[in-house]
Amino acid sequence: MENSKQEYRLEVTGITKSFGVVSVLKGVNLKVKPGEIHALLGENGAGKSTLIKILSGVHEKDQGQVFLDGKEIQPKNTHEGQLLGINVVYQELSLVNDLSVAENIYLHTLGANKFWMNWKKITQQASELLDSLGFSIDVTSKVRDLSIVQKQVVEIAKALAEETKVLILDEPTTVFDPNDIKKLFTNLIRLKKEGVSIIYISHHLDEIFKIADTITVLRDGVDTGSVAVAETNTDAVIHLMIGRALEDLYPTRNIQIGDVPVLEVKNLSGKRGIVKDVSFSVKAGEVLGIAGLGGSGRTETGKLIFGADKKQSGTIILNGKEINTKSPVDAVGYQIGFVSEDRKEEGVFLPLSIRRNISVTNFDSISSKLGFINIESEYKNILGLIDKLNIKTPHSEIDVKNLSGGNQQKVALAKWLSIDSKVIIIDEPTRGVDVGAKIEIYNLINEVAKKGVAVIVISSDMPEIMGISDRILVMHEGTIYGELPKEKFSEENILRYAIAQPLNKNI
Amino acid sequence: MALTIKEQLSSPGGWLKFLVKYNTVFIFVLLVIFSAFISDVFFTSVNLSNLLKQVSGIGIISIGMLIVILTGGIDLSVGSLVALLAVIFALLINMVILPVAILLTIIIGFALGSVSGYLVAYQKMAPFVATLALMTVARGLAFIYSKGSPITFNTTGGLFMSDFANNATLGIPNIAIIFFLIVAITMVMLRYNVFGRLIIAIGSNEEASRLSGIKVNKYKFLVYAISGSLAAIAAIVVASRTNLGSPNMGMAWELDAIAAVVIGGASLNGGKGTAINTLMGVLILGLIGNILNLLNVPSYPQQVVKGAIIIFAVLLQRFENK
Repeated sequence: MENSKQEYRLEVTGITKSFGVVSVLKGVNLKVKPGEIHALLGENGAGKSTLIKILSGVHEKDQGQVFLDGKEIQPKNTHEGQLLGINVVYQELSLVNDLSVAENIYLHTLGANKFWMNWKKITQQASELLDSLGFSIDVTSKVRDLSIVQKQVVEIAKALAEETKVLILDEPTTVFDPNDIKKLFTNLIRLKKEGVSIIYISHHLDEIFKIADTITVLRDGVDTGSVAVAETNTDAVIHLMIGRALEDLYPTRNIQIGDVPVLEVKNLSGKRGIVKDVSFSVKAGEVLGIAGLGGSGRTETGKLIFGADKKQSGTIILNGKEINTKSPVDAVGYQIGFVSEDRKEEGVFLPLSIRRNISVTNFDSISSKLGFINIESEYKNILGLIDKLNIKTPHSEIDVKNLSGGNQQKVALAKWLSIDSKVIIIDEPTRGVDVGAKIEIYNLINEVAKKGVAVIVISSDMPEIMGISDRILVMHEGTIYGELPKEKFSEENILRYAIAQPLNKNI
Repeated sequence: MALTIKEQLSSPGGWLKFLVKYNTVFIFVLLVIFSAFISDVFFTSVNLSNLLKQVSGIGIISIGMLIVILTGGIDLSVGSLVALLAVIFALLINMVILPVAILLTIIIGFALGSVSGYLVAYQKMAPFVATLALMTVARGLAFIYSKGSPITFNTTGGLFMSDFANNATLGIPNIAIIFFLIVAITMVMLRYNVFGRLIIAIGSNEEASRLSGIKVNKYKFLVYAISGSLAAIAAIVVASRTNLGSPNMGMAWELDAIAAVVIGGASLNGGKGTAINTLMGVLILGLIGNILNLLNVPSYPQQVVKGAIIIFAVLLQRFENK
């Protein structure tokens, strides 16, 4: 590795990492030069976060080597990583709300050497650092009182407070407006000139092409090689990321939609006041999309129908008969299923096996009157579903916490597919799910619809909701602002309704 | 992709996993071997049957504690319930015929447990608080109903019970047989019955359970009621052994029960734990006391050793989570 010492600041070879039975990284290589901005790309679940967590010392790698300036390193925790000069700006903010800005920036050095704090010095240094970044924030204010943008700036300043050889930024611009992004980029270029190696993770390809020198793409835990930004283009990069052209993401649908509505909702309002006077209907075999901005009442509408939120007024009619879903127990009794957007908290039982997860909704068909379970038919059912949904697992007794996001989502869906449902409400069907599993989930939704189930899909992912729905309702502040038939699907139209604007007539 | 059950059982590393999975069994076996070496008296039938008789009462309430803990709750009332129900049983046995006395005691146990269950499931009270309240209420009632002193059995029914409780069938003390039966039934219920599956699901994720259409409140209510019923059975057993019901019975037993469940590898967060491991936890705790008694260790150092063993057992279980 002698000659690499000259050329590369950071060299990663053959890194592998598994969590339980799920291998996340399967041999990743990455080489970053001093003074280089290196973009790390990949779909959700490709292994980007795991890789940077290994570099910074959060996780320990299983195999492979990491060299910093030609010397092999194995940070055991983030403190060791920082001492080596590897600093990370995480996507999830890691600030302490009740401490001041200055304290947060120097948190890792607080009390490290001396017993007494030098408040004056810390305050002064912090404010100089923020000034040099081009942002003015009062360093004595509590982080709790900052805006999300300011918090992100503090997060970046915190990483730069240490002597930094490698700076890793994970989606740093999600909360920034164009002006802030410009400032950030100016700083990154300055750091680059100072010789700092920067690993930049982002889903915004335009940013990447503006600032990065080199791109490495991760797909399913392997790197698909590195390319110089100057020698590639957006389409080529997307192709590298998903391994296929974009068009085949959404399966073509050819489903006979029934004539009569399966589910009708009339003037539905929730007790919490988030959903107001919502009316719509879904037919057999139809996939109805509900779009809208965060907080527009999408999720709450689904939960109201399912009985998970309390109803204020309005009627729900299933197959022509009025039903009263006071609780999920009632809704399940009426054969209505609900897949929550919050998979880990509300969707699956992480510490339980796949079998125990899926069976939870299905005991009626596999147990006797006294509740004794016919284990043989349980296994038959579960193994069949694992096969059908292509859940990637060695066997049915693996705990769900050890599965990838996509496979966890399939388990959450399997709960409702294993019983006969008339209506299935799916909130964010593919959040945090990789591309391969996305396609499989879309196919499943189609298959369910084909059986004559009325499907309601709630999603904030616009290409997704347009790709899989037959009709889209757009919500705004708790009401349905507009309805889009298939021929009027476009991101612009959804957005216009979502912010309570009429459609543009020219389109 | 999918494997058969047979293939699943012969997965690689099966033996090591087996060792880690049944670590409480191995601790138990090690303790038995150790005891046999250091004391000649240990492996006598008198000692062993004494040991079993001593642990049966706590063992029965430990099973109730287990199913409550599986839902993510806790039941601090069981020790006091044993005292109150033992007093009630002693009063009843001197008034009515034996089967009625037994049945009524169990029904009252169910009702008392239902109080906690109602408060926790329907009034959303924290299990710790609800059962702590019931704990002091039950102890107080035990002293009130007994007027502060033990109530001795004085009927033929009482004689029959104390005979039964102090005799053995096929060498196994009768009350231990009751305990083992309860363990066996619980094992089957947790593994092969919807009830067991659902309380484990509720303990591992209550919100996901609710959104899966499980009657969460009903099951949370039931586990406390069952725990109360098991406290009644434990009360009948311990009262019969000594031929009396005393308001001082079951003192701090709830803590021993929690210890047994925890040594058995259950998680206080709920969703994890088995009846067989709780049985092992009960036996381990009993064994430690037994050995230390045989070695003439006074009771205060015994408590220190017990605490140390709890820490040791729980540390060992860390490997399981790896």
